[in-house]
Amino acid sequence: MVETDDRTLLDCAVAGDVSALEKLMSRHPGRVYRLAYGIARNQADAEEIVQDVFLSMVRKGASFEGHAALTSWMYRVTTNVALNKRRGKRRELEVSLEEHLPTYKEDGHRDGDRSYVLADWSGTPEQKLLSGETRRILEEAIDTLPDHYRAVLILRDVEELSNEEVAETVNDSLGSVKSRLHRARMALREQLTRYLGPQP
Amino acid sequence: MTCKDAIAVLADYLEAAMSPELLAQLEQHLHDCAPCRAYLATYRKTKSLAAGASRVEMPEEMKLRLRDFLLTQLRAGR
Repeated sequence: MVETDDRTLLDCAVAGDVSALEKLMSRHPGRVYRLAYGIARNQADAEEIVQDVFLSMVRKGASFEGHAALTSWMYRVTTNVALNKRRGKRRELEVSLEEHLPTYKEDGHRDGDRSYVLADWSGTPEQKLLSGETRRILEEAIDTLPDHYRAVLILRDVEELSNEEVAETVNDSLGSVKSRLHRARMALREQLTRYLGPQP
Repeated sequence: MTCKDAIAVLADYLEAAMSPELLAQLEQHLHDCAPCRAYLATYRKTKSLAAGASRVEMPEEMKLRLRDFLLTQLRAGR
Protein backbone atom coordinates (compact mmCIF):
# COMPACT_ATOMS: atom_id res chain seq x y z
CA MET A 1 0.00 0.00 0.00
CA VAL A 2 1.38 3.40 -0.94
CA GLU A 3 1.33 5.88 1.93
CA THR A 4 -0.28 9.19 1.26
CA ASP A 5 2.48 11.77 1.13
CA ASP A 6 2.74 14.62 3.59
CA ARG A 7 1.75 17.25 1.08
CA THR A 8 -1.50 15.51 0.20
CA LEU A 9 -2.29 15.00 3.87
CA LEU A 10 -1.54 18.64 4.58
CA ASP A 11 -3.80 19.80 1.77
CA CYS A 12 -6.59 17.62 3.13
CA ALA A 13 -5.99 18.74 6.73
CA VAL A 14 -6.07 22.40 5.74
CA ALA A 15 -9.35 21.70 3.94
CA GLY A 16 -10.74 20.36 7.23
CA ASP A 17 -10.16 16.61 6.85
CA VAL A 18 -9.76 15.37 10.43
CA SER A 19 -8.43 11.92 9.49
CA ALA A 20 -5.70 13.53 7.34
CA LEU A 21 -4.70 15.70 10.28
CA GLU A 22 -4.58 12.65 12.52
CA LYS A 23 -2.41 10.73 10.05
CA LEU A 24 -0.04 13.68 9.83
CA MET A 25 0.08 13.90 13.58
CA SER A 26 0.86 10.22 13.93
CA ARG A 27 3.96 10.72 11.77
CA HIS A 28 5.65 13.78 13.15
CA PRO A 29 4.90 14.90 16.72
CA GLY A 30 7.43 12.51 18.29
CA ARG A 31 10.46 14.10 16.70
CA VAL A 32 9.13 17.65 17.13
CA TYR A 33 8.47 17.00 20.82
CA ARG A 34 11.86 15.32 21.37
CA LEU A 35 13.67 18.26 19.85
CA ALA A 36 11.48 20.87 21.60
CA TYR A 37 11.94 19.17 24.97
CA GLY A 38 15.63 18.61 24.30
CA ILE A 39 16.23 22.33 23.84
CA ALA A 40 13.62 23.80 26.23
CA ARG A 41 14.15 21.15 28.93
CA ASN A 42 10.66 21.37 30.37
CA GLN A 43 7.33 19.85 29.36
CA ALA A 44 5.19 22.97 29.47
CA ASP A 45 7.49 24.93 27.13
CA ALA A 46 7.89 21.88 24.88
CA GLU A 47 4.11 21.60 24.55
CA GLU A 48 3.78 25.26 23.53
CA ILE A 49 6.58 24.84 21.00
CA VAL A 50 4.93 21.75 19.47
CA GLN A 51 1.62 23.63 19.22
CA ASP A 52 3.31 26.59 17.51
CA VAL A 53 5.12 24.35 15.03
CA PHE A 54 2.04 22.31 14.06
CA LEU A 55 -0.19 25.35 13.86
CA SER A 56 2.31 27.00 11.56
CA MET A 57 2.52 23.79 9.52
CA VAL A 58 -1.22 23.49 8.89
CA ARG A 59 -1.42 27.21 8.12
CA LYS A 60 1.40 26.94 5.60
CA GLY A 61 -0.41 24.04 3.98
CA ALA A 62 0.55 23.39 0.39
CA SER A 63 3.80 25.32 0.37
CA PHE A 64 5.67 22.11 1.22
CA GLU A 65 6.82 19.89 -1.60
CA GLY A 66 7.07 16.54 0.14
CA HIS A 67 8.16 14.53 3.15
CA ALA A 68 11.83 15.59 3.12
CA ALA A 69 10.92 19.26 2.76
CA LEU A 70 8.41 19.04 5.59
CA THR A 71 10.80 17.19 7.90
CA SER A 72 13.63 19.69 7.32
CA TRP A 73 11.21 22.55 7.83
CA MET A 74 9.98 21.06 11.10
CA TYR A 75 13.48 20.65 12.48
CA ARG A 76 14.37 24.22 11.50
CA VAL A 77 11.22 25.83 12.88
CA THR A 78 11.20 23.75 16.07
CA THR A 79 14.83 24.70 16.75
CA ASN A 80 14.15 28.40 16.14
CA VAL A 81 10.99 28.50 18.23
CA ALA A 82 12.66 26.60 21.07
CA LEU A 83 15.77 28.79 21.06
CA ASN A 84 13.61 31.93 21.01
CA LYS A 85 11.63 30.64 23.96
CA ARG A 86 14.86 30.04 25.86
CA ARG A 87 16.06 33.56 25.16
CA GLY A 88 15.87 35.57 28.34
CA LYS A 89 15.88 32.43 30.46
CA ARG A 90 19.46 31.73 29.46
CA ARG A 91 22.06 31.77 32.17
CA GLU A 92 25.70 32.75 31.71
CA LEU A 93 27.13 29.31 31.19
CA GLU A 94 29.96 29.70 28.71
CA VAL A 95 32.48 30.00 31.55
CA SER A 96 31.26 26.81 33.19
CA LEU A 97 31.55 24.98 29.84
CA GLU A 98 35.23 25.92 29.73
CA GLU A 99 35.58 24.45 33.20
CA HIS A 100 34.39 21.10 31.88
CA LEU A 101 36.90 20.78 29.06
CA PRO A 102 40.10 18.72 29.42
CA THR A 103 43.25 20.51 30.53
CA TYR A 104 46.73 19.97 29.15
CA LYS A 105 50.34 20.44 30.20
CA GLU A 106 52.59 22.74 28.19
CA ASP A 107 53.75 19.78 26.09
CA GLY A 108 50.14 19.03 25.05
CA HIS A 109 49.66 15.92 27.19
CA ARG A 110 46.82 15.47 29.69
CA ASP A 111 47.09 17.37 32.93
CA GLY A 112 45.62 16.11 36.20
CA ASP A 113 45.77 13.29 38.68
CA ARG A 114 46.84 10.03 37.00
CA SER A 115 43.98 7.98 38.44
CA TYR A 116 41.52 10.61 37.16
CA VAL A 117 42.86 10.77 33.61
CA LEU A 118 42.88 6.95 33.51
CA ALA A 119 39.29 6.68 34.79
CA ASP A 120 37.29 4.49 32.42
CA TRP A 121 33.69 3.85 33.43
CA SER A 122 32.59 2.90 29.91
CA GLY A 123 32.20 -0.77 30.83
CA THR A 124 29.25 0.01 33.10
CA PRO A 125 26.01 -1.07 31.39
CA GLU A 126 24.06 1.80 29.84
CA GLN A 127 20.84 0.78 31.57
CA LYS A 128 22.56 1.08 34.94
CA LEU A 129 24.08 4.45 34.04
CA LEU A 130 20.73 5.78 32.85
CA SER A 131 19.06 5.16 36.18
CA GLY A 132 19.41 6.74 39.58
CA GLU A 133 22.03 9.31 40.47
CA THR A 134 24.09 9.02 37.28
CA ARG A 135 21.04 9.90 35.22
CA ARG A 136 20.42 12.92 37.43
CA ILE A 137 24.02 14.09 36.99
CA LEU A 138 23.73 13.63 33.21
CA GLU A 139 20.38 15.44 32.97
CA GLU A 140 21.77 18.33 35.02
CA ALA A 141 24.85 18.48 32.79
CA ILE A 142 22.63 18.58 29.68
CA ASP A 143 20.47 21.29 31.32
CA THR A 144 23.48 23.52 31.90
CA LEU A 145 24.88 23.32 28.37
CA PRO A 146 24.46 26.60 26.50
CA ASP A 147 21.25 26.41 24.44
CA HIS A 148 22.95 26.46 21.03
CA TYR A 149 25.28 23.64 22.09
CA ARG A 150 22.37 21.56 23.37
CA ALA A 151 20.40 22.12 20.14
CA VAL A 152 23.31 20.82 18.07
CA LEU A 153 23.78 17.84 20.38
CA ILE A 154 20.11 16.84 20.13
CA LEU A 155 19.96 17.29 16.35
CA ARG A 156 23.12 15.27 15.77
CA ASP A 157 23.15 12.59 18.48
CA VAL A 158 19.42 12.07 19.08
CA GLU A 159 17.81 12.92 15.74
CA GLU A 160 20.88 11.63 13.91
CA LEU A 161 21.00 14.37 11.30
CA SER A 162 24.33 14.69 9.48
CA ASN A 163 26.63 17.55 10.51
CA GLU A 164 25.73 19.29 7.24
CA GLU A 165 21.99 18.96 7.95
CA VAL A 166 22.51 20.29 11.47
CA ALA A 167 24.42 23.28 10.08
CA GLU A 168 21.54 24.00 7.70
CA THR A 169 18.97 23.59 10.48
CA VAL A 170 20.68 26.00 12.88
CA ASN A 171 21.84 28.27 10.05
CA ASP A 172 25.47 28.14 11.07
CA SER A 173 28.75 26.99 9.54
CA LEU A 174 29.78 23.34 9.50
CA GLY A 175 32.91 24.19 11.49
CA SER A 176 30.92 25.90 14.22
CA VAL A 177 28.48 22.98 14.47
CA LYS A 178 31.29 20.41 14.74
CA SER A 179 33.06 22.49 17.39
CA ARG A 180 29.92 22.92 19.51
CA LEU A 181 29.05 19.25 19.24
CA HIS A 182 32.51 18.14 20.35
CA ARG A 183 32.66 20.65 23.22
CA ALA A 184 29.17 19.66 24.40
CA ARG A 185 30.09 15.96 24.46
CA MET A 186 33.38 16.73 26.24
CA ALA A 187 31.59 18.83 28.88
CA LEU A 188 29.11 16.03 29.57
CA ARG A 189 31.90 13.43 29.66
CA GLU A 190 33.86 15.48 32.17
CA GLN A 191 30.92 15.85 34.53
CA LEU A 192 30.12 12.14 34.35
CA THR A 193 33.78 11.27 34.99
CA ARG A 194 33.90 13.53 38.02
CA TYR A 195 31.01 11.53 39.43
CA LEU A 196 31.83 8.03 38.22
CA GLY A 197 35.59 7.83 38.28
CA PRO A 198 38.20 7.01 39.29
CA GLN A 199 36.82 3.74 40.62
CA PRO A 200 38.42 2.53 43.88
CA MET B 1 50.71 13.63 18.19
CA THR B 2 49.91 14.97 21.68
CA CYS B 3 46.86 14.21 23.85
CA LYS B 4 45.51 17.66 22.93
CA ASP B 5 45.81 16.86 19.21
CA ALA B 6 44.23 13.43 19.73
CA ILE B 7 41.24 14.63 21.75
CA ALA B 8 40.62 17.43 19.23
CA VAL B 9 39.93 14.89 16.46
CA LEU B 10 37.88 12.30 18.37
CA ALA B 11 34.56 13.43 16.86
CA ASP B 12 36.01 13.02 13.36
CA TYR B 13 37.42 9.65 14.39
CA LEU B 14 33.97 8.40 15.47
CA GLU B 15 32.56 9.53 12.13
CA ALA B 16 35.40 7.88 10.19
CA ALA B 17 36.06 11.30 8.66
CA MET B 18 39.85 11.44 8.89
CA SER B 19 42.63 11.28 6.33
CA PRO B 20 44.57 7.99 6.37
CA GLU B 21 47.68 9.84 7.59
CA LEU B 22 45.90 11.48 10.54
CA LEU B 23 44.10 8.25 11.36
CA ALA B 24 47.44 6.39 11.54
CA GLN B 25 48.85 9.07 13.86
CA LEU B 26 45.80 8.91 16.13
CA GLU B 27 45.83 5.12 16.29
CA GLN B 28 49.52 5.17 17.18
CA HIS B 29 48.85 7.72 19.92
CA LEU B 30 45.94 5.68 21.29
CA HIS B 31 48.14 2.58 21.29
CA ASP B 32 50.74 4.38 23.39
CA CYS B 33 48.50 6.54 25.64
CA ALA B 34 46.26 4.90 28.27
CA PRO B 35 44.61 8.21 29.35
CA CYS B 36 43.54 8.90 25.76
CA ARG B 37 42.21 5.36 25.38
CA ALA B 38 40.13 5.95 28.54
CA TYR B 39 39.06 9.34 27.17
CA LEU B 40 37.92 7.85 23.87
CA ALA B 41 35.98 5.05 25.58
CA THR B 42 34.18 7.43 27.94
CA TYR B 43 33.59 10.03 25.19
CA ARG B 44 31.93 7.38 23.04
CA LYS B 45 29.85 6.16 25.97
CA THR B 46 28.83 9.74 26.85
CA LYS B 47 27.54 10.27 23.31
CA SER B 48 25.41 7.17 23.59
CA LEU B 49 24.17 8.00 27.11
CA ALA B 50 23.19 11.58 26.20
CA ALA B 51 21.21 10.26 23.24
CA GLY B 52 19.55 7.58 25.38
CA ALA B 53 18.58 10.07 28.07
CA SER B 54 17.12 12.47 25.49
CA ARG B 55 14.88 10.01 23.62
CA VAL B 56 11.75 11.17 25.41
CA GLU B 57 8.25 10.28 24.26
CA MET B 58 5.50 12.81 23.91
CA PRO B 59 2.96 12.09 26.69
CA GLU B 60 -0.31 10.63 25.37
CA GLU B 61 -2.46 13.31 27.02
CA MET B 62 -0.32 15.96 25.32
CA LYS B 63 -0.97 14.34 21.93
CA LEU B 64 -4.71 14.55 22.60
CA ARG B 65 -4.44 18.20 23.66
CA LEU B 66 -2.45 18.96 20.51
CA ARG B 67 -5.04 17.25 18.32
CA ASP B 68 -7.90 19.18 19.97
CA PHE B 69 -5.97 22.44 19.74
CA LEU B 70 -5.26 22.00 16.03
CA LEU B 71 -8.83 20.97 15.22
CA THR B 72 -10.14 24.03 17.03
CA GLN B 73 -7.70 26.25 15.15
CA LEU B 74 -8.54 24.68 11.79
CA ARG B 75 -12.27 25.06 12.35
CA ALA B 76 -11.85 28.64 13.51
CA GLY B 77 -9.84 29.43 10.39
CA ARG B 78 -12.41 28.08 7.93
